[in-house]
Amino acid sequence: MNRTVLVIGILITAAIVALFAFSFGRDPQHINSPLVGRVAPRFALRAVGTGEVIDIESLRGKPVVLNFWATWCMPCHAEHPILQQAARALGSDVQFVGVVFGDTEENIQAFIRERGEAYPTLLDDKGKTSIAYGVGGVPETFFIDRNGKIVAKYEGPLSFEMLQTYVRKVLS
Amino acid sequence: MIALLLVLTLQTTKVPDAAQFVGAPQSTPLQGSQLDTRTIEIAGQLRCPVCQGLSVGDSPSAMAMNMKEQVRELLARGYTREQILAYFEQSYGEFVLLKPKFRGVDSLVWLLPLIALAIGGALVVMKMRKLERPVATTPSDAGDEYVNRVRQLVEKE
Repeated sequence: MNRTVLVIGILITAAIVALFAFSFGRDPQHINSPLVGRVAPRFALRAVGTGEVIDIESLRGKPVVLNFWATWCMPCHAEHPILQQAARALGSDVQFVGVVFGDTEENIQAFIRERGEAYPTLLDDKGKTSIAYGVGGVPETFFIDRNGKIVAKYEGPLSFEMLQTYVRKVLS
Repeated sequence: MIALLLVLTLQTTKVPDAAQFVGAPQSTPLQGSQLDTRTIEIAGQLRCPVCQGLSVGDSPSAMAMNMKEQVRELLARGYTREQILAYFEQSYGEFVLLKPKFRGVDSLVWLLPLIALAIGGALVVMKMRKLERPVATTPSDAGDEYVNRVRQLVEKE
């Protein structure tokens, strides 16, 4: 009997240790997006400032970097110059698009005036586009290939190196 | 200038539609108190993606309120509970469902408590059976020569 209890105890302890070992180093907030590998959900949103409506479908044929952000998000402030610099460097090879949710047009315009804008920023008024893309927090960036398929999703602020890696993926 | 304003006005915005994910509505549109009740029920089954362990129905965050509003809108258009949950699952993954499905590794969430209960029950039964066994009436030292001699001496007296 004591031996049985010992074996069961060892098994339970081993299972718990294995679970911890598996979970250590993983971000509990990270979720693998089920949208990766699928066609990007279609939307057409109005650009802040110009008022032009940009339809994601109209960008087919060109890789797209779709960045969800907000002016109240501090990591987005850090990421902003990296995205702007990359958008200017890549020119017409890659289309960058920003989508802002949970924010006001006034805040966005003030932010853009202060920090510059190298690509269109669209306002996701009631957050429906963010919901369809499974956005859980900002910043989140989707990399869409020429065929409109989502190749990758990145959660958190992008470094220049990470951005380069993902852009290479959509360009290949 | 007027032409430009006209063009901008004519351009219509479009948000991703649930039909892209789960097809056309499969039920009748809800309204009134029925719509309110079903909205609360379904929002309670969805996890708020920006909160710690809160449902969309319970969270005061802007994201959760947007999601709840979308649930309401989909019910008003005639989408079923299954279609709405499937729509959110296709965007956020199974993480968004507060009640995991009985599928793959997730089935362990349902099975492990039952397995633990079965093992515990088996251990209790084994222990009880052992306790119920009659106590040995024959002396365990019956084969000991020295004890036998002592016993014989005692019996003689």
